[in-house]
Amino acid sequence: MATAPEIPEIVFAGTEGGAVTDLDAYVQAGGFRALAKARAMAPDEVIEEVSTSDLRGRGGAAFPTGRKWSFVPKPEQLPKPHYVVVNADESEPGSFKDREIMERVPFRFIEGCLIAAYANQATHVFIYIRGEYDRPFEVLRDALEQVRARADLLGGVTIVLHRGAGAYICGEETALLESLEGERGQPRTKPPFPAVAGLYASPTVVNNVESIVTVTPILELGGAEYAQVGVENSTGTRVFSLSGNVVNGGNFELVSGTTLRELIDVHGGGIAGGRRLKAICPGGLSSPILTADQVDTPLDITSLAEAGSAIGSAGVIVLDDRCCMVEYALRASRFYEHESCGKCTPCRVGTRWLSQILQSIEDGHGTQADLDLLLDVCDRVNGKCLCVLGDSDALVVASCLDKFRDDFQAHIDLGRCPFEESPLAGVLAPAVQHERRFHRELDVIPA
Amino acid sequence: MSELVTLTVDERQVQVPKGTGLVETAAAAGVEIPVFCYEPRLGPPVGACRMCLVEIEGMPKLQAGCTLTAQDGMVIRTAATSKKAADGQNATLEFILVNHPLDCPVCDKGGECPLQDLTFRFGPGTTRMSYSKLTFDKPIPISPTIALDRERCILCYRCTRFSAQVAEDEQLVAINRGAHSIIATFEDEPYRAPFSGNVVELCPVGALTSTQYRFEARPWEIQNVPTVCGLCPAGCNVSATTREGRVKRILSRNHPEIDRGWLCDKGRFTYPHLYAADRVREPLVRRPRRGLEPVAWEEALDEVERLLREAGGHVVTALSGTETIEQAYALGRLLREGLGAHSAVLPESTSSALDAFRAPLATIGSAELVVVVGDDAVADRAPIVDLWLRQARRSGADVVVVGPAGAVQVAPGEAAAALQALLDDGSELGARLRSSERAVLIWSGPGGGGGARLAEAAHGLGFEGRPGCAAFHLPASPNARAVAEAWSCAADEDESDPEPIRLLIVSGDEAAGSASVRVLAEQAAATVVIGMFQGLAGGWADVVLPATSYLEREGTTMNLEGRLQRLRRAVLAPVPDELAWLSALAARFGVEVPAQAPAVFEELSPRIFGGITEAEVDERQPLAGRAPYAPPPPAAETKVAAPAAPTDEHLLGELRLVRYRPLFSGPQVERVPELQFQRPEPVVELAAADAERRGIVSGDLVSVRSNGTAVDLLARVDRRLIAGVARVAEEHAGDLHVGVEVVKR
Repeated sequence: MATAPEIPEIVFAGTEGGAVTDLDAYVQAGGFRALAKARAMAPDEVIEEVSTSDLRGRGGAAFPTGRKWSFVPKPEQLPKPHYVVVNADESEPGSFKDREIMERVPFRFIEGCLIAAYANQATHVFIYIRGEYDRPFEVLRDALEQVRARADLLGGVTIVLHRGAGAYICGEETALLESLEGERGQPRTKPPFPAVAGLYASPTVVNNVESIVTVTPILELGGAEYAQVGVENSTGTRVFSLSGNVVNGGNFELVSGTTLRELIDVHGGGIAGGRRLKAICPGGLSSPILTADQVDTPLDITSLAEAGSAIGSAGVIVLDDRCCMVEYALRASRFYEHESCGKCTPCRVGTRWLSQILQSIEDGHGTQADLDLLLDVCDRVNGKCLCVLGDSDALVVASCLDKFRDDFQAHIDLGRCPFEESPLAGVLAPAVQHERRFHRELDVIPA
Repeated sequence: MSELVTLTVDERQVQVPKGTGLVETAAAAGVEIPVFCYEPRLGPPVGACRMCLVEIEGMPKLQAGCTLTAQDGMVIRTAATSKKAADGQNATLEFILVNHPLDCPVCDKGGECPLQDLTFRFGPGTTRMSYSKLTFDKPIPISPTIALDRERCILCYRCTRFSAQVAEDEQLVAINRGAHSIIATFEDEPYRAPFSGNVVELCPVGALTSTQYRFEARPWEIQNVPTVCGLCPAGCNVSATTREGRVKRILSRNHPEIDRGWLCDKGRFTYPHLYAADRVREPLVRRPRRGLEPVAWEEALDEVERLLREAGGHVVTALSGTETIEQAYALGRLLREGLGAHSAVLPESTSSALDAFRAPLATIGSAELVVVVGDDAVADRAPIVDLWLRQARRSGADVVVVGPAGAVQVAPGEAAAALQALLDDGSELGARLRSSERAVLIWSGPGGGGGARLAEAAHGLGFEGRPGCAAFHLPASPNARAVAEAWSCAADEDESDPEPIRLLIVSGDEAAGSASVRVLAEQAAATVVIGMFQGLAGGWADVVLPATSYLEREGTTMNLEGRLQRLRRAVLAPVPDELAWLSALAARFGVEVPAQAPAVFEELSPRIFGGITEAEVDERQPLAGRAPYAPPPPAAETKVAAPAAPTDEHLLGELRLVRYRPLFSGPQVERVPELQFQRPEPVVELAAADAERRGIVSGDLVSVRSNGTAVDLLARVDRRLIAGVARVAEEHAGDLHVGVEVVKR
């Protein structure tokens, strides 16, 4: 077992003594210097600095943040209000990094918001925070109160903290914008892209919490300096959320390109109970599953793409050899079925159908033909949907069947699930409590 | 002109203006991209159903064709040439059918269902779905006129988009999410809105059906007759669906300049009045002590002939303005030429001076400034105009209402003065009307000389020189102008003095229901009513001759734009056509009037329509060009009854009673049970200040009193309403006088 190397903390720097929730303490430790530095530059120079850092979006799509900002038409080209929207609707199963970022470094995050507002010439920043995130909401609310007392820091920018109402789909940027506008949380068709017509049909940048918080050190260090850390295409550090059958779950800020093995064995303390690793979900539930022999894959954009998966939101879920992969696929599919917004046909219908097929296999009623049907339905969902929610279900289910076909075959051959003590209930919780309330509501519709 | 771009669709080159939608682009290339949710009239595309998936060179994923626009050099492959696109469309169709109940044999939509049609072309022949389908309670009546079957629904969101983005009533919504998403009305309240029926026509499956049409007919046993709605002056183009000689439903017949394919619920759901229980099916003659008794037609005509001869020219004819041009002309020939009975009571018609500012109604939709002047709500007079106003507002136009409940508050009866004030040098609104290239004036209310004052204003504002500017008068009856013209061209003689009135001829149920006509009937020695419904004239007419409905007539009408349109007989009336017996009766007085509408039209056309033939009146008639401006006759002295001073100092001061005729009213609507929920509640609307002074809040039971009569109504405070006014629907106003007091009970 390797020993832990020195961790160059960038996002969580300065939190050795705990969360930094006092503005004065943050300022004394050098806080808001990055903002001052940014405001001494032209907005375009700030964007250039972020582009130089090669910061990739931390929400899941890994789009270069600097390039995203450069797409926003300048106010003189498009004389409308410009907005910065921060996606803090962290709902991806296996991902809980934004929660800790907002709780531990709220001022670094707010500083990043103000830098983004300056770079994009926005007057308003909207932080759309997941409704269930009570503690991060309180921390941010208190931090914003402190910042609001300092007009010099705000520089005329209004920051609005908006709580979501419990919909995974509102983490999709256009559904988030719809929800923020008070509409039903459903994705919009693109084009037009938010950069041109986002919130209230005005130019809008939508960034993940971790992307925004990282902008602060990028300005502090300089883009080139930041890009020294990490590997090509994946510069800097990332906050990995580690969960599942490991000894020590939690968030770990590591240099991009660290291997899965190091994350699991060194930082996570290995598999609990001395069991064998079976599968790894490397980037939040929506990333296709990896097998145990892919444990040496480095955690960066290129390597994971080559391994047939994705870095996603860097939520690593570890599964040991007791896990039933049919059950994993079923729990994943039930999640997407539950969270599908219902707007487009393939997702609305396909996620439910996939769950039904998987349930039948898991219950031991599956046939050989069901395996082909399962793959075919995945194929018919994937790439046909309005947003990536349905695609994710199809990709995850197909990857489980592809890589753990023996598990599926065993269910069909035995006519039951061969895994008697599958611990998945503790890894991916079902959405049952919502379902129950939901059906009650349906019952009251008059005939 | 927009820049042209060249694209390839399924290996065919096509040139379209840049920005054209891909569905239209493909159609231009002769290729169909199938759709469910796409409907450009509903606003921006949503890309929800995924039926339109196409492959576009350079894009890795299939794209929803409906959401993209034509760009130069685009190479598009549809299911016809791309396996990937075909797979995508097959997938979508399979998914749509996974939860669809496939109850086509008992579904009203079966046979004219886009889902059924596309299923024959895409998707698998058998299902691979072996689990339980989603089920819902069904059908759910979302209103007395519309039933919702949630199992059939494919969630294309056409209905909710119509509700939110066209009619703007926002009553239909999607609730829940994922597979459990359903269409519902907010809080399960009935969908009560003037345009609700359009969602039935928009629904691409049998999820939203008309309660009137359910299980009434199958598409292969019906005929659709193209005709024109006769219930308001807009003259929306409709198709009457008939089966075995009965009208089964009314559909819109999209005339892009008039109605854009929308139809109000009055036009759509009122047809059952044809089968009203009190429909007059035989002539009725009053017998001493026995009342009205059915008689044979010959006998009835003998009786009318006798009455006409005895009257000797002392005859007054009251017209409804719902007659066809031919009927009004035939009546005029009989009475004026045959008897020298020139006196007529005509409904307010539209001034010909407005012909100088004639334009299609669609002009409103693309205007930048619309000023609506008058006492009445536009939706009550010509509902489709309200949709055009909403479209104008959505496209950024400023719509200014000058009236008792408008942004510019004007007391009832003062609208003409307010209109005149627009011509003043200091009028800011007038200055904007003068300088705009796309300004529209609308007169919505009584008075104003049938739009004559409006024509003067438009002239004063210089509208003639600007083709994008227009002026519209919304008359109270569907065909008043042409009826007046046809009556007046039937003979040349001057007005005669009918006093004392020996005979009153009442043409149509609207005239029969009019209070002023009732007053005339009391003066006249005898009254002949031509009406559809016995309830209206049964108590006081001496002879009732059965009338036909607009759905049973051949002929022509002219709508408020001044557009000549053609009515076609959808079904045979259960009674003889008016022209047939008018012709026979006229012959008894030596007047030769043809019994067929085309022949009558041929005779009258040279007199008022420059000699065009009826065959030239097309099914989607274009609008005639503008006429040069001719100043209308000056306004007669208008009498505005001033509210009487309070007679008792304990009174808080009288309010002026404003009666209005709501959209859902009139003899036809009253006879359709499914439409009763649309009729106005027994409500008196009060301005906030007036209500406050009387301690009245919305929902209070109040007594509206005047001169010894009183009506109990519910109060509704309307913050937009001008003070000093009590607004009550005609049917709830009883015998109230113009000055009323409102007291909380």
